[in-house]
Amino acid sequence: MTLPPDYVEYPIRKRAMDHDRYPYRILPRIAPVTWPGGARVALWIAVHVGHYPMDMPLKPFIAPGGMERPYPSYWDYTQRDYGNRIGIYRMMKAMAARKLTGTALISAQLVREYPVLMDEIAAAGWEPACAGLDMAHLHHAEVPEATERATIAEAASLMRGRFGEAVTGWHSPAHSESSHTPDLVAAEGFTWSAAWVNDDMPYAFATKAGTLTAMPLPQDLSDQRMLLVQNMATEDFTNAILAAHATLDAEAQATGSGRILTLSVTPWLMGQPHRAKAFGAMLDAILARGGVWNATGAEIAKAWAA
Amino acid sequence: MLKTPGHYDYMPWRRRPKITWPSGAQIAVWLAPNIEHYELFPPHNPRRNPWPRPHPDVLNYAWRDYGNRAGFWRMADTMAKYGVRGSVSLNVAVCDHYPEVIERCCELGWELFSHGTYNTRYFYEMDEDMQREVIRDSRETILHVSGQRLDGWLTPAISNDETTQHVLAEEGILYTLDMTHDDQPTPVNTRAGRLVSIPYSLEVNDVPLFVSRATPPDRYVQICKAQFDQLYEDGAESGTVMCMPLHPYLIGQPHRVAALDAVLAHITSHDKVWLATGREIAQHYIDHHLADHQAWIAEGTP
Repeated sequence: MTLPPDYVEYPIRKRAMDHDRYPYRILPRIAPVTWPGGARVALWIAVHVGHYPMDMPLKPFIAPGGMERPYPSYWDYTQRDYGNRIGIYRMMKAMAARKLTGTALISAQLVREYPVLMDEIAAAGWEPACAGLDMAHLHHAEVPEATERATIAEAASLMRGRFGEAVTGWHSPAHSESSHTPDLVAAEGFTWSAAWVNDDMPYAFATKAGTLTAMPLPQDLSDQRMLLVQNMATEDFTNAILAAHATLDAEAQATGSGRILTLSVTPWLMGQPHRAKAFGAMLDAILARGGVWNATGAEIAKAWAA
Repeated sequence: MLKTPGHYDYMPWRRRPKITWPSGAQIAVWLAPNIEHYELFPPHNPRRNPWPRPHPDVLNYAWRDYGNRAGFWRMADTMAKYGVRGSVSLNVAVCDHYPEVIERCCELGWELFSHGTYNTRYFYEMDEDMQREVIRDSRETILHVSGQRLDGWLTPAISNDETTQHVLAEEGILYTLDMTHDDQPTPVNTRAGRLVSIPYSLEVNDVPLFVSRATPPDRYVQICKAQFDQLYEDGAESGTVMCMPLHPYLIGQPHRVAALDAVLAHITSHDKVWLATGREIAQHYIDHHLADHQAWIAEGTP
């Protein structure tokens, strides 16, 4: 058994991407971006408000936070659920004390499960964005297109039913996407999406149903990856955030173009008692550097497009 | 398959009916040493193999065996030094294998509750009758060795099946530790009887920290102190619970026991701390706060 001759043929080898979603763009050469008040860094606090059903499928992959132990894993389920009962309120308190807002990336199923939590998110003034139906509905190539379309429609309908027109953003659970997801998301009326972790700044993302604004939501620098998957210490995560901020702030000063610092944070991790103070201290350290414009995802997308 | 355990209602962490602890304490702290025996040749369970290596898994067996021979004694002395009692999450077969360990627990005035018979006998796929048999064995064994009533329950390795909480309530168990959804006691909904949940912990549990999360002892101290400090502060509004689950084979190692000492020194240096047992926390909650919580839930948690 040997490989066929076309294994070393490269039909996509040319000056272009190997797909037609966006062209190559060089970050240091982007058109200068101006933030309100002449801020150097836009601070986007993106809070993952997820629902992890105990019967979630474990194939084709287990999302971070998915059930790792045998069914019925009360161990995993109740630890994640802690975030929606307690952890998020600690984070809301820490953010409100510093007059900070953010975007809640919500598993739409929680509109049904926890209407009181939805009320609190609205009362906090956070932007509600749709993070899929729930963590049991990942988007991938093995999901039939019609099924995926129906899942996105159900999630959008739940979110708009509760929050109305404020819902303009989409984040696929665990950054999962099939080849169709951006097309279906745009067709459902979403205008920004945070999934592809390939830039620090927004860019236009082509779909069959119009253009989405791709928003920067890091995975390499997220609490789910660093604290859960990589088992790093809390201060390793918060120090990494501050290092990122220092770099982005310096780039903004050097180029005169604004940058974005996105915090990809999760209540069942950062809202735990032993981490809550570290979350607040990290916010203080970011604000102390000055030149920060705190905004929601939709506000940043709008300012970028202006 | 169930999508959610279905055992508790949503209780947002704001405007809850206030919990007060005895003597004006802001936080109830309880230590749960897991005193366990893992069998060298355990029977098969379809959902989980207890050992990562072929049986006998001598390395992993002996690691845990260390806890009963050496680690327990060191851990118990450290707790006694600070006057902190344990609430033992007990594989009740330990009473037969190593009665000296149980005698020491009783001498120190510790509570005994059940963590099943062996940590290698999971509840996965046990029918209800078999679960009842294990619970009754626990009740009789604990009564026999200590004169204590069986009030608390933690399923071995948190291997509970869908029906376990219902069976616990029907068997008259006071409190369950199988869920880690809260920092306060909460009501548990079951098909009959009454059951409450009190906080156990996977966040400051020595197994996840030392085994899975590669935590050095000094960072363990830092994490436990931070956990305590936040819950102590939150407790000024409404009383909280901090549980420190311990495993003698880990925390009782010579390189780690000083970490336990440092955490207990920190906790006992605060005045508004109720050093309680699981039973005392559950009973206080049932007597003074359970009805308030149930009424607040019924009102839609305004």
